[in-house]
Amino acid sequence: MRVKVATVLLVLILSSTLSTANPGGEGDGIRSRDCAGSCHADSSSNGASTANITIQFQEHVYTGLLTEVTVTISDTETAYTSLIGVTLLINTNGAKDLPAYDGWEIVADHNGGTNNYVESTASSGNMEVSWTLRAPSTGTLTLYAAVQHGSPTGNIAMTGISSPFTIDVEPVPENLPRLETNWEPPATRELGEETTIILETTDVNSYLVEMRIGTQITPLEVTDDEFTIPAASKAGVVEWRAILSGEGPDQTTPWFRLIAEEPSWGVDETSLYMQGFAVLLLFAGMVLILPKSRKEETMKEYEQTSIVREMIDLSTPVASTGPPLPAGGLPPGWTMEQWEYYGHEYVDPNKGGLL
Amino acid sequence: MISAGTLHVISTELTIGMFALSGVAFLLCLLEKGPDTKTSVAHWALIGGLAATPFAIITGVQAAPGEGIDNPLLANKLLLSMAATGLAIGLGIRWFTGAEINRIHSSIGMVTVGMILITAGMGGEFSRGETLLFFLPKDLVILFPIWASIVIMLCGLAMIGKSAIHRG
Repeated sequence: MRVKVATVLLVLILSSTLSTANPGGEGDGIRSRDCAGSCHADSSSNGASTANITIQFQEHVYTGLLTEVTVTISDTETAYTSLIGVTLLINTNGAKDLPAYDGWEIVADHNGGTNNYVESTASSGNMEVSWTLRAPSTGTLTLYAAVQHGSPTGNIAMTGISSPFTIDVEPVPENLPRLETNWEPPATRELGEETTIILETTDVNSYLVEMRIGTQITPLEVTDDEFTIPAASKAGVVEWRAILSGEGPDQTTPWFRLIAEEPSWGVDETSLYMQGFAVLLLFAGMVLILPKSRKEETMKEYEQTSIVREMIDLSTPVASTGPPLPAGGLPPGWTMEQWEYYGHEYVDPNKGGLL
Repeated sequence: MISAGTLHVISTELTIGMFALSGVAFLLCLLEKGPDTKTSVAHWALIGGLAATPFAIITGVQAAPGEGIDNPLLANKLLLSMAATGLAIGLGIRWFTGAEINRIHSSIGMVTVGMILITAGMGGEFSRGETLLFFLPKDLVILFPIWASIVIMLCGLAMIGKSAIHRG
C-alpha cells in the first residue's frame, strides 16, 4: 500500500511542469517594478523580454493639465494567453518608482481604472496602451515603461523595461485654451447607456469634439457646452477628444478613452448574509443530528448484566462448600467465606485445626 | 505597513494548510489506516482552520477591489464557506461529545475540507482569472428570499436542539 501511494505521489510530482509565471495575469494595480513574488516568482529567476518598448507623449505637456502617454510594445514573445502587463514608472530602482512620487496623477488608465500597472492582450506580440495623466509642477522628468509577460514555453516569467523618456513639463501659457484644472473625463459606462459630457474650460471661445472608434473619426455635435456619445451595444472602447479654440493657440486634448462594460453585478447583501447564516445552522444541525454511535447503541441493547445478576441472586442459593457448621454456628471472628476454605482445619485438629 | 492583500495571503495559507491537514487525517480515518492520533489531528486541525477562517474572510473583504459583494464568485464563496463552517462546527461538537468517528463522520470531514478548498480556489479565480475548477457553475448564485432563509434557519436550530436533547 505504502509503495503504491509513494508511486502515485512520485508520478504526480514528476508530471508537473516548472513555471515561474502567472499566465492568467495578476490584474491591474498600483505596483512597483520589482513586484517579485507578488506577481511573478523571485525577480532573479525572470528572463529578459525581447519586446521593443517605446513611449509617446504630446508635444507640449503643461503643468496641472491633462496629457496622454502611449506605450507601444512590439515583437513580444508571449505565453499562449498573449497577456502583457505594462507598468508606468519613474525610475528603474524597483522601489519608490511610482509616477505619483514625481507628482503625476493617473486620471485614467488603459482599462478605465487609475492604475500604473495594466494588463492587456497583445495581437501577434504587438500592443499599445495609454494613460491619461495630470502633469506635475514644471521641470524635466523621466518616465519608463516596463513589461511583464509569460514565455511561449510557459516556464519562465519575462520582464523588460524601456529606455528613459524625458518630458519637459512647461508652465501654462497665458490665455491658453484649456480644460478646467479639476475637470476629469468619465472613464467607464454601462452598455446601452448614452454618455452626456459637459466640458468645463478656461479661455475657450469654441471647441470641436471628435469621436474615434478604431481608426474611424467622427465629429460630434456640441450644444451649450454639452455633447453626447452614443450608447454602445457591446463591450468596447470609444475615444474622444476636444479641439479648443480661444485667444491663445489652439489646443487639442488627449484622446480620452470611454470603456463600455457589462452592467455591474449586484445582490441584496442582507438576503445573502441571512442565507449564509441559515446554511451554517442547517449544515451544523444535519451533522449533529446523526446518530452518536451505532456501536454504543448496540452495546446498550445487549447490555443485560444487571438483570442476569439479579436473577442469579434471587433464584440460586449459594451452595456452601465447607464442612457442616458447628452447633453454635460460625466460630467467633470467622466469616462464611473463611469457613468454606478453612473450616475443615477447624473441625479436624490433626490437620492443624483447633478442635 | 502591511497591505490587506498580504495579510490575506498569510491568513489564507494558514487556513488552507490546517484544513488540508485535517482532510488528510480524515482520509486516514475513513480508510481506518495510520496512527491512532489521526482522529485528534483531524479535528484539532479542523478547529484550527475554523479559528483562522474569520481572519481570512475579513482581510479578503478588505483586499478585494470595489465595494461590497459585486461579483457572483464572491457570493458563492460566502455561501460555500458558511456551509463548510457549519459542517465543521457540527463535526467538532460531535467529536467533543464523544461520538463514534465512523465512516460517515470521516466522509463529512472530507467534504468539509473539499468545500473550503473550492472556496479558496474561487478566490484565486476572482483575483487571477484562472482555475482548475472551470467546470463548476460558479457564476450561478442561488439566492433565497429572506423568508426562506428564516425557515432554513429555524430548521437548523430545530435539528441542533433535537441533537442537544439526545445528547443531554
